[in-house]
This record gives sequence, structure tokens and C-alpha cells, in this order.
Amino acid sequence: MNSTIVLLVLLALAAAAWFAARAKARGMFTGRGSLAALPSYHGWHMALWVLIPALVGWTLWNAISPGFLYSAILADPSASLLPAMDMERDAVIAEAMAVAANDGFGAFRPETSAIVPVVQSLTAKFAWIGAALSAILAFAGGAYGYTRITASFPARTRVERGVLALLMAASFVAILTTVGIVGSLIFETGVFFSQVSPIDFLFGTNWAPDPFAAVTPELGEKLGAVPLFWGTLFIGAILAMIIAIPFGLMSAIYLTQYASAGFRRWAKPALEILAGVPTVVYGYFAALTVAPMVRDFATSIGIENATTESALAAGLVMGVMIIPFVSSMADDSIAAVPQSMRDGSLAMGATKSETIKRVMIPAALPGIVAGIMLAVSRAIGETMIVYMAAGAAANLSANPFASMTTVTYQIARLLTGDGDFDHPATLSAFALGLVLFVVTLALNIVALRVVKRYREAYE
Amino acid sequence: MSSWHTPEAAARLKKRYASERRFKAFGFAAIAISLSFLAFLLFTMVKNGVSGLDWNFLIGADSTNPDDAGIWGAFKGSLLTMAVTLAISFPLGVLSAIYLEEFAPRKKWVDWVEVSINNLAAVPSIIFGLLGLAIFIQVMGLPRSSALVGGLTLALMTMPVIVISGRNAINAVPPSIRDAALAVGASRVQTVFHHVLPLALPGILTGTIIGMARALGETAPLLIIGMRVFAASPPEGVTDASSVLPMQIFLWSDEIDQGFIQNTSAAIIVLLAFLLAMNGLAIYLRNKFETRW
Repeated sequence: MNSTIVLLVLLALAAAAWFAARAKARGMFTGRGSLAALPSYHGWHMALWVLIPALVGWTLWNAISPGFLYSAILADPSASLLPAMDMERDAVIAEAMAVAANDGFGAFRPETSAIVPVVQSLTAKFAWIGAALSAILAFAGGAYGYTRITASFPARTRVERGVLALLMAASFVAILTTVGIVGSLIFETGVFFSQVSPIDFLFGTNWAPDPFAAVTPELGEKLGAVPLFWGTLFIGAILAMIIAIPFGLMSAIYLTQYASAGFRRWAKPALEILAGVPTVVYGYFAALTVAPMVRDFATSIGIENATTESALAAGLVMGVMIIPFVSSMADDSIAAVPQSMRDGSLAMGATKSETIKRVMIPAALPGIVAGIMLAVSRAIGETMIVYMAAGAAANLSANPFASMTTVTYQIARLLTGDGDFDHPATLSAFALGLVLFVVTLALNIVALRVVKRYREAYE
Repeated sequence: MSSWHTPEAAARLKKRYASERRFKAFGFAAIAISLSFLAFLLFTMVKNGVSGLDWNFLIGADSTNPDDAGIWGAFKGSLLTMAVTLAISFPLGVLSAIYLEEFAPRKKWVDWVEVSINNLAAVPSIIFGLLGLAIFIQVMGLPRSSALVGGLTLALMTMPVIVISGRNAINAVPPSIRDAALAVGASRVQTVFHHVLPLALPGILTGTIIGMARALGETAPLLIIGMRVFAASPPEGVTDASSVLPMQIFLWSDEIDQGFIQNTSAAIIVLLAFLLAMNGLAIYLRNKFETRW
């Protein structure tokens, strides 16, 4: 019994209930004010009574039936042939279930084929029980809903209460997501720190994770994340910002203060395209075009053994990606500077550029700084550009032509490898994720506070 | 009077005007350089990829031979993933936006919802990948590498975008509309669903399309949940292992065979064309239906 079919049947029943209830309510209509609610609300009320109990029952049954199924399989006479060892027996049953669910799947164990028919018939039986259960609940709920249709019944109020509960549940998902992120990061990080000392991880300078190494207390010596933190900061907060801040700021100044309306109308969206290009495209461009250029440049100024994977190539492209972000933040904060301050400066005989440099930028500085903090938080969380252009070598150096690795690169690398999920080297990805989450969160909270306080100052 | 016309003053003025012109030129140069970088990027992709854009490329599945490789498998994976993302994030986003703008009481937990949404919008995308891996795959046991898990993960990422744009759109509907509906006896739920929501819908749709465009170009979280698969045949359903367009670009970019440069660039052209079309649609919707109250 397919769950899609069950769902469709329930929806059809609910639709039938809607029409039946509306028809009954219409029959009670004797004139203006004779019904407490519109007939269609009676329809919705009954449809909800059909749908909700049945869906709840169906979900509960799906959650608990695997347990019943398991014991039913064990109780079957053919199960006596199964291995006595718990683990082996579970493996055989799991395999039989996979075979039963998908006929193309071949069985590896000889014992499996013996119990497949049993599993198949039991699975079908349990699915039928579930379907029958939800049908009974649908009809019971429908019957109750149908009896409630009276002239004085406030169907609309009841339905609207349901709608409000739905709205509330939807907005609760945001909290659940946050809790899910924080919870899963902290949980996995806790497992990681039970095997590796946090001090080794946070202050160690040797990063050479090996997901196949034996788990010993000395493992922490190879999981020092300082080179990653440095690489992340160097690429995201230094190199990228050296590009993004002047270019973004000057673009915003030109667009808001100098450009004609016609130029602004097409230049601003064109600049926004830079922010809309997927990061994987930037990464490919960085690896294909920018990195070889950077290498040739490095060779030409006499740096030996320059590689194609360099912090500079990644930082450069990331900086360009961030330009529209810095530009639009600077745009907002410059626009928020009161016109009177600008007029005052111009009236004193200052030129436009003097006004901008001496009056507008100092006044807009908190907003601009907040914008830069948000830009940094975005840059250090960026993955694909560094994955494709910055390299894997954990270098603790200030040489922009060196290959460098970042927190995001290592997270992606560790979790896409073949390593065991429970190995400390793999779990360290979650610890890195937690650090990244905390840092970006802190940057965002501080930046938003600054922006808020700054806006209030001029309003 | 006379002191303004000394040679020193004239020289100073000249210097100030020169610096004014310089500053303006810097500003123009900043925009020009940024845009020429974009032009250079697009030109490189078109130059490398346009010759690879043919019918076989569009309908073929992935292959180890660059001449046979096509993007249909990855494209179908993207479609399935986006379908899951839209089906989850749109209703959730719109319903929470309605609740927060129209019904939410001033209570502590509502503040928590708002803080969560604003923070989720700024969380790096790779963190959502960690969430998907830990919750959807490890705890809930959904199939790894599937469009289902990818779509769910991206839905959580897209939802805050829809909520924020939805709240702005709902907030922009003037109170007089609500007052008029309430005055003729509509309930609050009727007011919102019959009057406010239809008027706010263009704004909500614009935000949704922009959020979906972002999700379509996203790679990092999908990398974490294992959508880095070589799929020689397109996925049949949302539970099959599948790839997506950006992931296909990433996988091909790693290939050593020179022929894949053409494929990668051609796939990038297709992806960018889609993103451009989606953003164009969003702008069109905004211009066509935007009402100034």
C-alpha cells in the first residue's frame, strides 16, 4: 500500500466531506442570519475532521509499525532458521527488507531468500493495517464533524483556530532549524572533544588530518586548526577586503553622488549581477583563468616555485564577488546621512569630493564598518572559491602566493572523503563548523547592532 | 575682495578642482573595473563553452568521455531538488511571514523566531550542509546524495529569504485595506487571506524567485550531503542519488581531460542563462505588479 495512494484517497475523502457538509449546511439555510457560519466553513470544518485524525494516525502507525514488523518476523516459523547472533540476524532481516522493497536488489546472504516471502507478506499486511486504521479514523472524524453541523455551530471560528495553529507551527520551524544547527554542531563537536583535547584543536599549528589513523591520544597533535583560522582570515578578511572595500566604497560613492540617473539605472543592476553569479562559477574562473595569471605574475617578479593554487587568486576573486555587497551597504549608509549636513558643507564652499571625504564618510562610518563586518562574515563562510583555487596545504604564512587552506575547505574535504564518520578527523569538521558558525554569528549580531544604533542617531 | 584673486589662491583652487576630478575618475574606474571583470568572466565562459552547446549536450547524461557527456542528468537533479525546495520553503515561508506580520503576539518566543530568521539568513551555506548531514541523513536516515535531502537542506536555507521578503511585502499593504475589510465584518483570518495576501503576492513571489535562484546556484551544502555523484543516467525520483547543475560544473572542473573545459564552460552558460531568466522574471513581476500606495 503506497503512501501516495493513501494520501490521495484521504484528500479525496476530505473533498467529499467538504461538499457533503456544505450541502447539509445549505439545507439548513432558512433566511438571513439563520446560520452562524457560511456553508463553506462547515465544509472546511468537516474536511479538517476527516483529514487531521487520519493523517496523525497514519504517521504514528508508520513510526511504530517497524517495531511490530520486526517482532512479527521473528515470531514467524521460518525465522527459526535465522542465525542466533543478534547482529547477524538483524543484518539478514535488513537485507530481506531491502530485497522485499526492491525486486531488482540481489541478496548476498543465503539465509535471506528464505525469509523474503515472509517479510514481503508481513510488510504488505502491516501497510494494509495502517491504511485501514487511517480510513477508520477518517470516517470516525468525518462522522463527528458531520454531526456538528447545526445552524448555531460557529464553524468559522473553529476553522480559523486551526489556521492560526498552522501559522504558528510554520513560524516555529525557524526556531527548530536554529536549534537543529546549534544542537547538531554542539553534539558532534562534543564527541570530537571527548577524543581530542580542545586546546590541541584551537591552538595547535599542525594540521594533517588522517581519517584512517588509529585513534590515540596523540591524534590531537595533527588536528591543530590555527593554520586554517589564519588561512580563512588571510583570504576572507584581508585579501578579499583589500579588493572589496575600495572598489565597493568608490562604486557606491560614484553611483550615489556623481552618476547620472541614466547611468545608475543600468550600472547598479549590472553590478548586482556580480553578486548573483554562483560561487562555483567564480571558483572555476579563479582556477582556470585568475590562478595561472597570478602564478605568471609571481614568477615574473622573481618568486620561485609559485603554484597555481594561491591564496591571492582565491582572495582576488572573492573580493570581486563581495564588491556589490559592500557597495550596497555603503550606499544605504551614505543615503542615510542627512541632506542638511551635505548642504552645509557645500554651502561653505567645499567641493563635492571634499564634502564626501570630510563630512559624508565620517558621518556614515558606523554603517560602512558594519557593512564591512557583514562582508567579512560572508567571505569567511564562502566555500567553493577557496575549494577550487586556494588549495589544500595548511600553510601558516603571510605570502599571498602560497597555497593556503581554509575552514570551509577542510569541512568540505573531510566530509566528502571516504573516512569513517565517527573518526575524530571527520568529526573535526563539525568543530570547525561550530567555530565558523559562532564567528559569523558574532560578526552579524555586532554589525546589526551598530547599524541599528547608527540609524537611530539620524532619525 | 582682492585676497581671492591672488595667484596662490588660484593655484590652490586649481589643485582642489584637480583633486575633485581625480576622485570622480576613481569612482568611475571602480565601477568600470568591476564590470569589466564580469565581462571578462562571461567572455571567457562563452569563448570556451559556446561550441559545446548543442542538442546532445543538453539531453545527454554524464559520461567519462567529454564528447558524450551532457547535462540532462544534472539538470533533472536540479529540477527535482528545486521542486522539493519550493514545495517546503514556499508554504512555510509565506505562512510564517503572515503569522509574524499579522498575528504574532508580543511574546518572548516570537522574538526568538525573529532573531532565528534574521540569523539564519546570514549563516554560511556550508553550515546548512552540516545540518542536513547530521539531521536528515544521520538521524532521520533519509537516502544520502538524494534530491530529497538536497531539497530539504536548501529549503531551510531559502525559507528565511522568503520570510523576510514576504514580511516586507505584507507590511507594504496599507492598513486601510485591512480596516475596510474588518469594517464590513470580515474576520482577521478572512482579511488576511482574502485581501492582504493577494495584494502582497507579487512581492512575495519576487522574493521567492530570488531565493530559488540562490538555491539553484548553491554547491557547498550539497557537497556536504554527498550529492557529488557520477550519475550516468538521470535520477528517476527524489530518493535516487543525483547531481545538480552547479555540482556537475564542480565535478567537471576537476577532470584532467582538456575536453571537459568546454563542457564545464557550456554548463556554466546554461546555469547563468537560467539564473538570469529567473532574476529577469523577478524584476518583471516587481515592475508589473508593484503598487505605490
